[in-house]
Amino acid sequence: MKYGIAIDSSRCMACYACFMACKDEHCGWDTTVSKAQPHMGQFWMNIVEWERGDNERHIKTATVPTPCSHCDNPACMAAAKDGAVYKRADGIVIIDPEKAKGQKQIVEACPVGAVYWNAELEIPQKCTMCAHLLDDPEYPGKEPRCVEACPNQALVFGDLDDPNSEVSKKIAAGKVTQLEALGDAGSSVVHLNVPSAFIAGTVFYPAEEEEVYIGAQVKATCECGKVYETVTNWAGDYEFEDLPKNKKFTVEITTKDFQTVNFDVVTDADHYFETYLAK
Amino acid sequence: MAKERITHSICVGGPLTIHTVDGVIRRVRPIVLDDTDPQGWVIKARGKEYTPQRKTTLSLLGFTEKDRTYAYDRVKYPMIREDFVETADGQNRNAENRGKSNYRRASWDEALGLVAREIKRIQSTYGKEAVTAITSSHHSWGLVGYKISLFNRFFSMLGYTRIADNPDSWEGFHWGTPHTYGYYWRLGGPEPFDMLHDAMKNTETMIMWSHDPDTTRGGYSAQESALWRWWMKEMGIQFIYIDPFNNFSSVKQADKWIGPRMGTDAALCEAIAYVWITEGTYDKEYIAKHGHRFDEWADHILGKGVDATPKTPAWAEEITGVKAADIKAIARRWASTKTMAGSGMRGGFGGACRTVGGTDYARLLVSLLAMQGMGKPGQNMWTGTCGAPMNYNFWFGGYSDPLASIAKSPIADHPAVNSVQQTLYRTNLPDAVLDGHYEWLGEGFCGGGLDFEFTRHVYPMPGCSEVKMFWRYGGSFMGTMLDTNKWVKMYQSPKLEFVVNQDTHINPEGRMADVILPACTNLERVDIGEVGNSGNGGYCSHSQTGNSWQVVVYQDKAIEPLWDSRSDFWIFSQVAARLGWGEEFTEGRNEEEWAKRFYQFSDLPKHMSWEDFKKKGYFIPAVTFNEENKDPKTGLYEKWDEHPGFQWFAEERPCDTPNHKIFQEEGKLGTLTGKFEFVSESMLYWEPDDEIRTPIAQYKDSWEGHKSVSADKFPYQLMSPHPRFDYHTHYQQHATWLWEIPQNRRLVNGNPYLVARINPVTAEKKGIKEGDIVALFNGRGTVLCSAHITRRVYPETIHAYTSSGIYNPVEYGKYGSVDKGGCVNVLTPGRLMGDYIPAMVPNSCNIDIEKAEADPNPGQGFEFIIDSLEMQSKFRCEKTSAEADQIFGEKEAK
Repeated sequence: MKYGIAIDSSRCMACYACFMACKDEHCGWDTTVSKAQPHMGQFWMNIVEWERGDNERHIKTATVPTPCSHCDNPACMAAAKDGAVYKRADGIVIIDPEKAKGQKQIVEACPVGAVYWNAELEIPQKCTMCAHLLDDPEYPGKEPRCVEACPNQALVFGDLDDPNSEVSKKIAAGKVTQLEALGDAGSSVVHLNVPSAFIAGTVFYPAEEEEVYIGAQVKATCECGKVYETVTNWAGDYEFEDLPKNKKFTVEITTKDFQTVNFDVVTDADHYFETYLAK
Repeated sequence: MAKERITHSICVGGPLTIHTVDGVIRRVRPIVLDDTDPQGWVIKARGKEYTPQRKTTLSLLGFTEKDRTYAYDRVKYPMIREDFVETADGQNRNAENRGKSNYRRASWDEALGLVAREIKRIQSTYGKEAVTAITSSHHSWGLVGYKISLFNRFFSMLGYTRIADNPDSWEGFHWGTPHTYGYYWRLGGPEPFDMLHDAMKNTETMIMWSHDPDTTRGGYSAQESALWRWWMKEMGIQFIYIDPFNNFSSVKQADKWIGPRMGTDAALCEAIAYVWITEGTYDKEYIAKHGHRFDEWADHILGKGVDATPKTPAWAEEITGVKAADIKAIARRWASTKTMAGSGMRGGFGGACRTVGGTDYARLLVSLLAMQGMGKPGQNMWTGTCGAPMNYNFWFGGYSDPLASIAKSPIADHPAVNSVQQTLYRTNLPDAVLDGHYEWLGEGFCGGGLDFEFTRHVYPMPGCSEVKMFWRYGGSFMGTMLDTNKWVKMYQSPKLEFVVNQDTHINPEGRMADVILPACTNLERVDIGEVGNSGNGGYCSHSQTGNSWQVVVYQDKAIEPLWDSRSDFWIFSQVAARLGWGEEFTEGRNEEEWAKRFYQFSDLPKHMSWEDFKKKGYFIPAVTFNEENKDPKTGLYEKWDEHPGFQWFAEERPCDTPNHKIFQEEGKLGTLTGKFEFVSESMLYWEPDDEIRTPIAQYKDSWEGHKSVSADKFPYQLMSPHPRFDYHTHYQQHATWLWEIPQNRRLVNGNPYLVARINPVTAEKKGIKEGDIVALFNGRGTVLCSAHITRRVYPETIHAYTSSGIYNPVEYGKYGSVDKGGCVNVLTPGRLMGDYIPAMVPNSCNIDIEKAEADPNPGQGFEFIIDSLEMQSKFRCEKTSAEADQIFGEKEAK
C-alpha cells in the first residue's frame, strides 16, 4: 500500500477549492500527526501559477497545485535530526512536531519549497496528506481534503501499488511531468501535464485581404531532429504545445498560393507569431 | 477521533457538510453521496457515457464558511453609535458623524427598545411610509430566512416603503431582450432546460460571450458545471471566448479568445450579421417564418438604413479593436457548425450587458441566434452552466417562488400584506433621499409583462412622506451599487433620522448605522432549502439545473449563535412583540416549525419522512421516477423526461418546457408579434423616442466610453465584472484566507490591496511594476490597488473585480476619501443607462491610473481587522459572550 495523489495540471482551473479545504482542515486545529497551521502564511496546498505567452492573442496559464511531494527519498528527512521526519509504511512523509522543534534546516532542505516555518511554535510544518483522516476509521471521507474538494478530477487519490486503482490508471493514461526541482526522484505525489513551451501563431492572407488563412501547412523542426506538423484551423491558428524547452526550432509555413515562410524560434519561453502571407 | 456531529447547510458556494466537535465547527465539506442516494443521470454522447461524480462540489467560498463564521469582524453585540442622541424630534443626532463615530455595546433590551420606539415615533409622526428597508441579495440561504420570506413578512406587516431591486447582474438582457424575443417572465434570460444533453450530442462550437463560467459558477451552483465543460472540450467542441479580459475560464480552455474594447460588443454582433447576410449563410427559411421586419434590419446592417453605414468587419475593427479577419473567421465558424452561444453566468448575463450599450448587445446576440435557427439540435442560447437533466416532477420551493415564503399562503396561515404603496428604487436610493424627489420608469424586476418596464414612478408618492428611517439588513451596497460616495453622503444626511443595520458582520454599511443588530449566520440557526434553486416559476426559474444533482437540505443549526448574535427570526419577532403583534408575526411557530411547513407543502414527504430527512440532512431525488425509462436488464434509468429549451419553437410544436406561458403553446414568443422582432414593436409602442434603446438595436458610442468627452482626461476603461474571489461582498472582508490568493489581493503595510490588471504597455508608459500600489481614479474618486501586469487585457482596459468586499477609506466616513479596500464602485457612474432605462452600467467607466504609495497606516478605519488578526486563533473557539468579553469587551465598547 502506497498512498499517492496524481495532480493533473491540464484539468486544474486554479479554483482554489483544494487550497481552502486544506486551510479549513489544518488552520487552528492540531491533528494526530501535526500541530495547527497558523491562520495565515502557510500553504500546504500551494497553487503555483504562471502566465504563458508573449502576445495578447494567445495567452494561457499554467496552474500547478503543489503540496509536499512525499518523496521516496525525502531531502527533508535526510536533513532532520533525531528522526524528526519519518516516512510511514504507506509512503506518507510526516514531520514530528515534537522532535522537529527548532530544526529550521528541514524547511531549507525541501527542493520544492513545500515546508513552512512556524515562528511561534518554532517548528517546520507541511502537508500530511491528511494522514489523521486516512487513519481514522470513523471519519466518513475516504480521501485527503484537497482531493475531495477538487471538482474537476484534477486531483486523484489512491493506492499507487494497485495498478487498478483510479490514481494508478490516471498516471498510466497521462503524461508524467515531475516537478523540475525534484529531478528524477520518485514521489507519492505525481504531477501530470505540467506544460513546458508552445509555439503558436495565426496565418493571414496579405493584410489588405483581411482574412485568416485556413489550411496552411505548418511544420516545426527541432534542432534535436524531431518534426512537428499541423494545419491552421478555422481561425487561421496553429499551435505546437508541450515542446522540449530551450531548443531551437525552424518553423515553415507552406500554402498553395503564397510564398513559403520560414523563421527560427527558441523555446526559452512560449512564443506566438502573426504571419501575413505574400505573393 | 473526537466525537464529531455532522449537520448540513447551504451557502452561495454550494451545499455544506459540517463537522462540529463540542459545539465548535471543525470543518466543512461537500456532500459525498452514499448508497441510499439515487443513480445519477447518464448522458451517452459520441460513443462515451458521462455521469456526475457521486459528490457535490463547493466553490472556494464555501470552504471559507468556517473562517467566515468565526471571523474577527462579526457583529458580536448590539451596538449603538457613541454620539447618537435619541432626541424627541429626530433632529440633532450627529448624523454627519455616521461612518466616523465609534460604537458602544448595548444590551438587546436597550437596542430593541430603541428600535421599537423609533418605529413608533416615526410612523406616528410621518406615516407608515416613512420607514424604508432593504436586504442584501444572497447573504444567506434558506426559505425561512431569505429576504422574500422572513424580511418580507416583518416589513409587510409593519407597513413600509419598499425599495425595488434593479436587475443588477443582467441589466442589458432584462431591459433589452424581451423586446426581441419575449421571455420577460424569465427576466430576459433563455430556456436552458436539457441543453447539456443536446450540446454533448450535437454541438460543435461554444461561444462564451462575456462569460467566465468557472468564476460566476452558474450563480450559486458551486463548481458543478466545470466538469461538463471539460467533457465538451475533450470531445473536441471548439470554445470561443469573447471578453475584454482573457478570463479565468478562457485562459484555461479557449480555443480562441478575442478581446473587444469594453462596451463595443454590439458592433461585433452587427459585423457578424453583415458577414452572414452578404455571404448568405443564415437560416433564411427560419427567419422568413419567425422573424419580424428582418429586411429593414438587414438594410440597416448593409448600410441602406438612415445612417448609410455598412456594418462591415472593417467598420467593427475600428470600433472594437478586433481584427476584421478574426470577425470573419468567427462568423463563418458560427454559421458553418452547430453552435451554442450566450452571455455570462446563465446565458443572459455578463459584464457586456452592464454597459451603456448593454441592451443593444443583448438584443443583437439574440438576433444572431435567431439567424442561425435557434432551437434546432445543438444550436441554442446556452453557455454551459444550467441545463443538466432534472426531475421536473419533483417540486421543492426556491427562494423567489411565489408560494415559498413565510410571508404568503400557504406557508403562513395569514399572509402579510404591505399597506404602503410608495416605493423607492435601489440604484438611486441616495439620490431620492438627498434630493427629496426622484422619478423613474419600470418595476425593477419586470417579470409581469413588457409594459412593466414602462410604469412611471415618483417619490415621494403624492400624499406620502419622505422616508425618515432606514433599516438595512446586510451591508453589501457599498461595494455592489455604483458611485459609492453617493451612499456615504446619503448615510450622513440628517434627513435619515434613524438608521438600523442588521448583519452578521461589520460591513461598510454597518459602520454607517445608529444601531447595529448582530444577526447569526446560516450555520447558527435552522433553515431549509434546495441548492441553487432560485424558484420554480420565480426568478431564473429552475436554476438548480446548474447542479449535477438536485439537493434539498435540512439546514440544521451546527453551533449555537456566537457571542450575543441571534437569528434574524428572533430579532424580528422581538421587535414585533414590542410593537404589539408578536403572536401574529410568529403564528406561534419557531424556525424549525416554519421550516417544516416548506417540507409539508413540497413533494418531499412522498419520499422521506420529516424525521429521516432531519437525520440524514439532505435528500436527492432521482432524475426520473418514470418506470418506463428503466432498462429491464440493468435496472438502471437510462432515459429521463426531457423538455429541451426552445426546441418546441424551432420544431413548431406546442411548448413543453417548464415555466412557459400559454401563448407559447400556440408557437408564439413573448414579443408583441410573437416573433423575433428585428425592429421592436414594443419599443415603437411605448418609448419610440428613446435614444439609448432604439427600435433597431445597434452600436452607439457610449456617454462614457472610449469616444466620450471624459476619455481625454481618463483614457482607460475600467472593467469590473462579477468577482471570482467573493460573492456580493459577503466573503472577502471576513474570510482572510482569501487575501492569500495572489490573483486576488496582496498585503502591503498590513492592508490587503485588491489586484488591478494592466497590460505591459500601460505599465511601461506609467512606470508601474508588478505589485506596485497604483491609484485608479476619475472624477468620482480614487481607489488604491496592487498592480498585476498581464497580457490578459489589452492596453486600454484595466480590470479589477467589483463587489470584492472591502470598502476601506483612508479617512473613514469622509465623503470622497481615497479607498484602499478595492471598492472599485467608488469609480463607477451613478447615472442610469438612459432616461427610459433604469439600469446601472458599471462597465462604462473611464479612469486613469498612476503609480502611488501604499497607505502607511494599516489600522486606520480598519481597526477591527488588523488588531484582531493575531487573536484569531484564540477567539475562534469562543462560544459565550462572557468569555468573549474578556478578550474584546473593553476594546469594542470604547
